[in-house]
Amino acid sequence: MEQTHPALHYVQIDEKRCTGCVLCMKACPVKAIRVRDRGVAEIVGACIDCGECIRVCPHGAVKAITTGSDPSKLSRYTIISASPVLYAQFDEEVMPNEVLLALRKVFRYIYDQAYIHELYNVAVELHLKENRGKEGAVRPLISPVCPVVNRLIRYRFPSLLKNIIPIMTPREIAARELKKRLYCEKVFDTSEFGVYHITPCSAKMGSINYPMFLDSSYLDGALGINEVYELISKNLRDLEEDVILHRSSGVGIGWGVSGGEIAGLEDGNFLAVSGLSETIRYLEKIEMGLFENIEYFEFRACLEGCIGGPLTVADRYQAKRTVARFVRMFGHEKRLKYAQAEKAYHDGWFFNEGRKIPLAATNRKLSLSDALARQKKIEEVFRKLPGKECGLCGSPDCRTFAEDVADGQVGMERCVLLNREKTK
Amino acid sequence: MPNLTKRYPIKARDYLKAGEVSIQIQGLLKIIGFAPDFIRRVSLCAYEAEMNVVMHGGDGELTLEVDTDRVDLDVRDAGPGIEDIGLALQEGYSTASEEAREMGFGAGMGLPNIQKNSDSLDIISEKGKGTEVKIGFIA
Repeated sequence: MEQTHPALHYVQIDEKRCTGCVLCMKACPVKAIRVRDRGVAEIVGACIDCGECIRVCPHGAVKAITTGSDPSKLSRYTIISASPVLYAQFDEEVMPNEVLLALRKVFRYIYDQAYIHELYNVAVELHLKENRGKEGAVRPLISPVCPVVNRLIRYRFPSLLKNIIPIMTPREIAARELKKRLYCEKVFDTSEFGVYHITPCSAKMGSINYPMFLDSSYLDGALGINEVYELISKNLRDLEEDVILHRSSGVGIGWGVSGGEIAGLEDGNFLAVSGLSETIRYLEKIEMGLFENIEYFEFRACLEGCIGGPLTVADRYQAKRTVARFVRMFGHEKRLKYAQAEKAYHDGWFFNEGRKIPLAATNRKLSLSDALARQKKIEEVFRKLPGKECGLCGSPDCRTFAEDVADGQVGMERCVLLNREKTK
Repeated sequence: MPNLTKRYPIKARDYLKAGEVSIQIQGLLKIIGFAPDFIRRVSLCAYEAEMNVVMHGGDGELTLEVDTDRVDLDVRDAGPGIEDIGLALQEGYSTASEEAREMGFGAGMGLPNIQKNSDSLDIISEKGKGTEVKIGFIA
């Protein structure tokens, strides 16, 4: 696998299926795709694994690489910690416990990750409380949960890396606790089990193999919801409900939808934003210093939240309705002992030791005067372009084409419309 | 000495596009590679100046000049002008319309914020003849 950027990306284009149209290139929010001489789309820049290209490709040529892409990589004993988005993929009558039981028919050990969401909410509350009184405290703080947002911040808003709250994500806490427990109980040979996350998200593999705030992830891999969906559907048919695996209230399940995370917090000045273009808009303004009155931002790169993830099966709006139904059904009271959660917080249970703030990731490092000269060149090229944003040159828009020309990657002659003018 | 000049038109009362110019400037300065806090100061001032044109001005134009050691903004509009510049520089003093306030703008912090975050500020204005705001930043 050829890599074009220090952080590997897990969204890949199947060149056999790609027709070289411009849809994915146009949809890419970080302008990382080009269609060059080979006539197929290629990822050339800093991909954030958001999966927008997966959604728009009409030929199914873009895929997210997960552990499920190569099931032989699964450990012999597979422990599953599922995103609650999974519960909302089936008919409304299917209860979370049934989904977990259907999973247990295939995998060795199943865990309801939504319960950890409720604990995490307590940790964030306590952290925000500490932050309130502190002089020079960083504001606003940003949720670390969405891996696409984390990568986006690293590539495009590195000055906001310090704003990401230093609490471990629920999926990592869940995996760590599962491993601790299974090691202690010596249920099976420890070298033969792995903890896998079932996810709606094309960026989880990247966050597992190249975590930003941990030396290494507690998770061993991820499976897309779309990869286990049929398996679960089949196993839902003849279930015996002999055990309760589902532990969370509506609070933990509600996380699947944008606003669900902050809904689990006590009163405060919070904001939930979903969708990449809106998220980018807000990050730009936060970088200007415009939202210091907000304490905590819940950003989700997918529209409507994780239920809108590219690896989901159910339509996001129907899934949203199902989540709302579960929230009503299982209630707004967290199913945890607050004092215990509070003690865990003060004992450092929610933090990882030696958390590092990752370095900003940038493609090039020019001196200010060289960068300014480059920018002048870009403006010069840009002024000559027709501004139709057609993408026929193989760059996503005229400005990016001007950048590519200024950087010497392509020549002006690639602009089809300019050529047509000349030959008229 | 390399130096880059860009002009951006600003439309009065176009609240939908308001902020667009300052976001473009922020992006440009980031690509060039200025320090984050410097970019924050410039883009915040650009934002406040842009909002002033949107709220009070007739149509206007922002001129950006970038050099390796400094950035200058020149914002002109054909609006009503500022009657008392000293008063306008006081925190909380506002002549914003009901429309602007309803949208959460016009808290009287625009010019004071610019003064706080810039290295030089020059306001030339005459009632009925528009306003020119020159803002300088040393990198």
